[in-house]
Amino acid sequence: MFERRSLSLLPMAVLAVACTALGLAWVVEPLVAPVSLQVRVAFVIGGAALVMGAIKVALRQAASAATAAEQYVARLCELDSDALHEEEQLDRTPVRREDARWRELCQRVRSRLCEFARQADEVEMVRAGVEVRLRRVTSERDQLREILTGLSDPVVAVDAFGEIVVANGSAERLLNLSGTNQGSRALEQLDRCQELLSLLTETRRRRAPAQRTGELTLASADGKEHCYRVSCRSLAQQTEGSAGSTERGAVAVLTDISSLKAIQKRNAEFVSSVSHEMKAPLSSIRAYVELLVDGEADDDATREEFLGIINNQTDRLQRLIDNLLNLARIEAGVVAVNKVPQSLNERLGEAVRVLQPMAESKDIRLVAEFSELYLGVLADRDMLLQAAINLITNAIKYTHRGGTVIVRSRLHDKETIFEVEDTGVGLSPEDSQRVFEKFYRVRKDREMAQGTGLGLVLVKHIIEDVHGGRIELESELGRGSTFRAILPGLAQISA
Amino acid sequence: MNKRILLCDDEAHILRAAEFKFKRAGYEVTCARDGQEAWEILLESRPDIVVTDCQMPRLNGLQLAERIKQSPDTNGLPVLMLSAKGFELSADELRERFGIRHLLAKPFSPRELLERVEATLASEEATREAEVYV
Repeated sequence: MFERRSLSLLPMAVLAVACTALGLAWVVEPLVAPVSLQVRVAFVIGGAALVMGAIKVALRQAASAATAAEQYVARLCELDSDALHEEEQLDRTPVRREDARWRELCQRVRSRLCEFARQADEVEMVRAGVEVRLRRVTSERDQLREILTGLSDPVVAVDAFGEIVVANGSAERLLNLSGTNQGSRALEQLDRCQELLSLLTETRRRRAPAQRTGELTLASADGKEHCYRVSCRSLAQQTEGSAGSTERGAVAVLTDISSLKAIQKRNAEFVSSVSHEMKAPLSSIRAYVELLVDGEADDDATREEFLGIINNQTDRLQRLIDNLLNLARIEAGVVAVNKVPQSLNERLGEAVRVLQPMAESKDIRLVAEFSELYLGVLADRDMLLQAAINLITNAIKYTHRGGTVIVRSRLHDKETIFEVEDTGVGLSPEDSQRVFEKFYRVRKDREMAQGTGLGLVLVKHIIEDVHGGRIELESELGRGSTFRAILPGLAQISA
Repeated sequence: MNKRILLCDDEAHILRAAEFKFKRAGYEVTCARDGQEAWEILLESRPDIVVTDCQMPRLNGLQLAERIKQSPDTNGLPVLMLSAKGFELSADELRERFGIRHLLAKPFSPRELLERVEATLASEEATREAEVYV
């Protein structure tokens, strides 16, 4: 260190010594030697020039070191962190070793810059990690929000402060929640539904995590009353400021159970209808058995009449139970459906043959008008036969003596059609609507024939649900009815 | 004088069994196939008691009973009801609102029905005598 500095100071020291010597010479001139004035002046000027030159050289040298240092620092400032690290490794400081002060300064600046660069790298890494996490969390949140929004079940969540924090679209519509700023919606906005409000409030106030359920009825947007099951659970969220409070958030999920209720109601009605239908023949059987047991029937004719009724009613009960079982088994899919391509005309011919005696006994003309084409259908043999038999039986039952029942088949627009037309009693528009309902029997025609009110239900089920076809009905009161079964043709099925 | 009874049911066999039982017990029996027919019969002749089914076309049993209770001509006429269905209404309500004295569940026993009818007529008689006495 010392050596470098002394090197740069050397010329200045030489000049200083020379000047001092000349000054001394000037002062002590009379004492030393008789040198002429011109010589002495020349010495002084020369000395001064030398001093000036030396000073200038020294200054220039110092300035060039400062410039080099300045340029170097400026260049350092422009480097990115990788180049800075490289610079640190190679140490390319452009300041000469002699300019130790500038060199040291440059090195200090460089090391600080490198340190900053390292810190910046670390911060960047942390930032990148945070960004990745944020992106993941955001996408998860968006996904959850989408799921929540897409849920048809209304969902409402409130925080520990009693403010609605989550309400999906269906909840907003159902509960008439207004405003998009969710945070500002107080729980009290749920005043449209007091049950839900109290359920949420109660759940929030529980000390321990709680789950509560309830049922409520609300009119939905379409104005229809819907029955909802509410499942309410407290949220274990720790919100700032709520640590000491006993209140928590809560979430309520509403499930529309209207259809379930409707099914339950239909089932109850069905059971009630079944028991009513069964009680009618049972009542007769019990009454006549008792009359016979009590010896009320004095003569053989009466006894025979009573026994006939009992027999008849037992058959009715038997038929009802058979039909019920059949229907239940087909509806439940317990009966194996074995669909094979077959001729519709063959099945219809079979049904007509079976029922010809029944028609003859009632003096009814049963006519078959089948298509001359081969009408292929993919169907279950037994079920198709059952459907045809039920339709023809029905027609015979509700046609007066001397009437006509025509069974037709034809191909129309690739669909295979069979229809049963009668000249019977016909149906009113209201009865036409209801005739495929379970146990529905047209009141005014009840006495014409016995029935269970299940035959047409079975036909509809076989044609529509099992075979993908449809049933049509044309009827005019007093003129007759046409029941039409339309089945997809074979070509249509394979297409 | 024979007691007169009006039987009303849309099931012909039930009607026949009840008619047979009451005729054997010495009653003068009239039959109706639904509530409307029963009401038309009631407008012309006055039986001592009515036994009706509940589920019937046109006018059902409850409607018939209500009409009997509300009309000044027929008010007080005892009505017994046969029904295959359970009722949401209690026996008291049936009596208060429809004037139905007794409800018998189907399947029913003709013997029991006869006993019920006789008991109801006897209590009616007793009430009437008590009123006369007062």
